[in-house]
Amino acid sequence: KRHRPLRRSSICFASLLCSYAINPQETLTSEMNAETSDAPPTSLVDRTVVPGDTVLDLTAMANQTIKLGAGLRQDCDTISVMKAGKLRLSKPNKYWVESSHKRYVPCVEDTVLGIVVDCKPDNFLVDIKAPTLAFLPVLAFEGGTRRNIPKFEIGTLLYVRVVKANNSMNPELSCMDETGKAAEFGQLKDGYMFETSTGLSRMLLSSPTCPVLEALGKKLSYEIAVGLNGRVWANASSPSTVILVSNAIMNSESLSGLQQKIMVEKLMQRLQ
Amino acid sequence: MEQRLASTSRMTVNERKFVETALASDLRVDGRRPFDYRRLTIKFGRSVPVYGFTASATEDGSSEVQLGQTHVIGFVTSQLVQPYRDRPNEGTLSIFTEFSPMADPSFEAGRPGESAIELGRVVDRGLRESKAVDMESLCVVAGKSVWSIRVDLHILDNGGNLIDAANIAALAALLTFRRPECSLGGENGQDIIVHDPEVMEPLTLIIHHLPIAVTFAFFSEGNIMVIDPTHKEEVVMGGRMTATVNSNGDVCAVQKAGGEGVTPNMIMQCLRIASVKAADITSKIKNAVETYNTERTLRKVKRHSSTVTHQVSVPDVITKDKQAENIIRHQEEMIHHEPDRISNCDDEMTVDTRTCIKTEGNSRDSCTDPFVGGPSNWDPYLNKLSSNLVGKSQDLLGPLTIGKEQQEESKSNKMAVENSPEYATISSNSETLGVSGPRQQTDVAKSLKDAVKSKARKKSKASATTR
Repeated sequence: KRHRPLRRSSICFASLLCSYAINPQETLTSEMNAETSDAPPTSLVDRTVVPGDTVLDLTAMANQTIKLGAGLRQDCDTISVMKAGKLRLSKPNKYWVESSHKRYVPCVEDTVLGIVVDCKPDNFLVDIKAPTLAFLPVLAFEGGTRRNIPKFEIGTLLYVRVVKANNSMNPELSCMDETGKAAEFGQLKDGYMFETSTGLSRMLLSSPTCPVLEALGKKLSYEIAVGLNGRVWANASSPSTVILVSNAIMNSESLSGLQQKIMVEKLMQRLQ
Repeated sequence: MEQRLASTSRMTVNERKFVETALASDLRVDGRRPFDYRRLTIKFGRSVPVYGFTASATEDGSSEVQLGQTHVIGFVTSQLVQPYRDRPNEGTLSIFTEFSPMADPSFEAGRPGESAIELGRVVDRGLRESKAVDMESLCVVAGKSVWSIRVDLHILDNGGNLIDAANIAALAALLTFRRPECSLGGENGQDIIVHDPEVMEPLTLIIHHLPIAVTFAFFSEGNIMVIDPTHKEEVVMGGRMTATVNSNGDVCAVQKAGGEGVTPNMIMQCLRIASVKAADITSKIKNAVETYNTERTLRKVKRHSSTVTHQVSVPDVITKDKQAENIIRHQEEMIHHEPDRISNCDDEMTVDTRTCIKTEGNSRDSCTDPFVGGPSNWDPYLNKLSSNLVGKSQDLLGPLTIGKEQQEESKSNKMAVENSPEYATISSNSETLGVSGPRQQTDVAKSLKDAVKSKARKKSKASATTR
């Protein structure tokens, strides 16, 4: 059996090459394993799993590349779950576990909403609901030079992108995209920010559009910025619209699509 | 330093500005109007079944209050202590607060901070200065021994407006607290005997009125005022004032600790609004406490199991007073259960109380199965109990409980009396009712049996053994 050691970062999937010679004895044991192990992997996809669940039996899949994401780990012959959540599969071969938390673990290429906590000579210290504060270099803005450093006061809300995320260092942010353009990053003015869970943020960012946002958009005009760290910013022309939008989004986490639509209609009726 | 910075909650400038602009148009961020309270939920302590024979370690005197997202637990305990020198015939009342670090990132374990002490002071002043709790009734031996009541308030979740929630928790806990009955005895008549709650029903505290704290938050130089601020509004507000009033309109205490200045007109308006809100909250607390007391009494009333047989209407056989009391009490129950009882009583005069209250058709034959009583629409305890009945049954409970231990080997099945849905907010364990149920009732049965003629007794014994 030859297994490449598993190297994982939260966004990049690790490749696992399973190719090995199966001798008759192993066939027997693998068959037994297949019988005694949990249901075939496809039936656990999109279902809630808990740590310890066996997701895949590698002996049954030879010469395949499987990519593992967050929450999964390889235990010799099997792939087992490390984090509680929903198992997801992206065809053909990417598996990961999705869960919803109030705290955020920074990963590279995430777009998040941060609050400026302090200004240093070459960094802004920004709070992104991670275990440690993140650094935003003073020059990480489009056309940023030492001459035109932006002045952010403490408490400014920023829409930023995570550039470096190691669990041993402070995360690093940037207000530019890869090509160096501003691309909507930067300070968010006016509006109202509220905090939710990471699962709700992902739901709001999913495509097709989340039902609650669609239902709100049919009657109201508003704009929102969703950070993967659980922060959402909403803005509209009148405060009542903003309050309506924020309350609708906050209530929608545990509702199904249809329930979300009904909830939004009820809220709007109450206002009129 | 960075760790600490990372863990505190922060407000953005956007939020601050938005809260104020929204308030300028009479809108609050969570959709409330300026003078609306959040949803208030009051729950009481669960009674823990002690397996075996004691009824249950009831958690009288503990309350759990949820005001929106704010979550507070209140717990009352009592102890016999020496009174203060200058007040030899009054009990003492003390309030302790604990701000748990899980409630808010800024709370730290250990010594109470400034806001914790302020909260304790405000609640204490509302109760003490207004003489809401009667202290003189807590005296046992003047100058030597009085009851000291201690109220512990634990903050579990800080969603804003801790003072109001903590005050309600303290009041709810005090209203449901029962202190043990004690009497003088011993050789020289000077020793104080504290009676076990199983032996003598513990007593409630005498509470004259309920002082309710209502907190106001001021914004934009004291021009805008809201009630019951949430956590975000508290960060943004300019000043805060707490007015403790009762439903009679008396102002018990006012607390304004710093912050923006407020005009006298504004303060008078606050007091007027506070008295309206106080009446509302008082009625909520009283309803919750009443439901809890009703449910508690219901738990104490023991139902008869089907294995016990005795004469139902035997008024002429009464010889002893105790049995008379039992029969009177039994008859009172009969009166209430009469409609069904008449249909169920057969020639053997077997009284099966449980058939009276169950709505499903549990046949007599299945008497050994655990009884599950559904909610009955004529159960007397669903409606308001007349205080008479409650008082009587409570008085009679005293002598009745003495013979409990003798009934251990009794034939009883477990009866689980299901709580009616109205008591859903009262957290109680239905199994406890079952454990305590049959024993008391077999005790009653025994004393009634004594009153019954020997012929019927033999017949009932025979039928009892067969079951």
